[in-house]
Amino acid sequence: MSEGTDRLIDRLAADARPVRVLAPPLRRALLLLAFMGAVALVAILTMGDMDMLRARYSGREWMMFAETAAMLATGALAVTGAFFLSIPGRSRRWLAAPLPAAVLWIALSGMGCWRDLVRHGSDGWSLGHSSDCLLFILGVSAAFGIPLFWRLSRSAPIDPLRVALLAGLGTAAMAAFLLQFFHPLAVTFMDLGVHIAAILIVIGAASLLRGRMLARAEA
Amino acid sequence: MEVELSGTEENWGVLLAAAQAGDAEAYRQFLHAILPFLRSVARARTRGDELAEDVVQDALLTLHRVRHTYEPGRPVKPWLAAIAARRAIDAMRRRGRQTSREVHDPGAYETFAGEQANAGEAGEAKEELARRMGELTPKQKEALELVKLKEMSLVEASAESGQSVASLKVNIHRAMKKLRLGQSRDEGG
Repeated sequence: MSEGTDRLIDRLAADARPVRVLAPPLRRALLLLAFMGAVALVAILTMGDMDMLRARYSGREWMMFAETAAMLATGALAVTGAFFLSIPGRSRRWLAAPLPAAVLWIALSGMGCWRDLVRHGSDGWSLGHSSDCLLFILGVSAAFGIPLFWRLSRSAPIDPLRVALLAGLGTAAMAAFLLQFFHPLAVTFMDLGVHIAAILIVIGAASLLRGRMLARAEA
Repeated sequence: MEVELSGTEENWGVLLAAAQAGDAEAYRQFLHAILPFLRSVARARTRGDELAEDVVQDALLTLHRVRHTYEPGRPVKPWLAAIAARRAIDAMRRRGRQTSREVHDPGAYETFAGEQANAGEAGEAKEELARRMGELTPKQKEALELVKLKEMSLVEASAESGQSVASLKVNIHRAMKKLRLGQSRDEGG
């Protein structure tokens, strides 16, 4: 046995102070999602415009439910996956868990855009309130991201990139879900492009800042 | 805590749970018991490379830092294997980066045959090096001395200096950069 390793073990054992064991990742994820859900609910009830949402999807309510549910599922699965991947040895399949819901979400949004393009011709390409949407997604992602990354940093992830990717996708999808209740007009292809760009910006920023944001906050 | 060291995974879980509660002896037993497993993962990941023992030590340090993430009652091996595998990947990447920056140049070691032929240059080089070393911060100097001159492993240097492994790496990198920059300035000017 290497002498250095022996000395190291003695040193680590001498530092064996009690530690607070983390709760299971599913419980921690559900708590955080409940917090996000409560914040979203208050925002929707106080500032959201349900009439506008219904008007946008008039005659195709199933689409409204399916698209909104796909966004919510993407966000919830990505956030839950981030908690699981922050623990060593948990299944890497969590990295792919939100992808089917994300693909469904983008496909349904694309279908809606196509429908508008057929109905309104070139107006279906126009830039609606894209800059507002971009700011909305970035702002809400940051607001959701702070408590999420704070909770994730408790596990000091050994592979922070994967955790940051999922956490970024989770917050951006939650922000897009919330945007549904504040979007004044039907989403055009240009809007959809801006939404996707905003989500990619959030994921990129989360990945770049992972070292700082996932550095363990000492308990 | 009295737990027989039979090396079964179940015992590892019991020992680690006791360590989480602050039992130093259980923790020491646990760390010794898992060494063969950590070494086998490290060797497999580094293809039997001499890096394996560094990976084991790095994994032990990481394990210490994240020991609160082990959920008592769950299998220990996947948790341990993930930590060791991650540290092995990091070590291999680090070495890959170093190898891509360093060039084998046998000519660099050629010199004149006469004993006194290089004395003047050697003296100047010594003074120059001393001057550049003087520009380093105390922590950079300490990191360089322990790891590069005394050839300690990062973990040993960390224990000796009290600097974390990450700080040591950063300080060595910055020190080497300063020394190299000084050299290129001299060559350029």
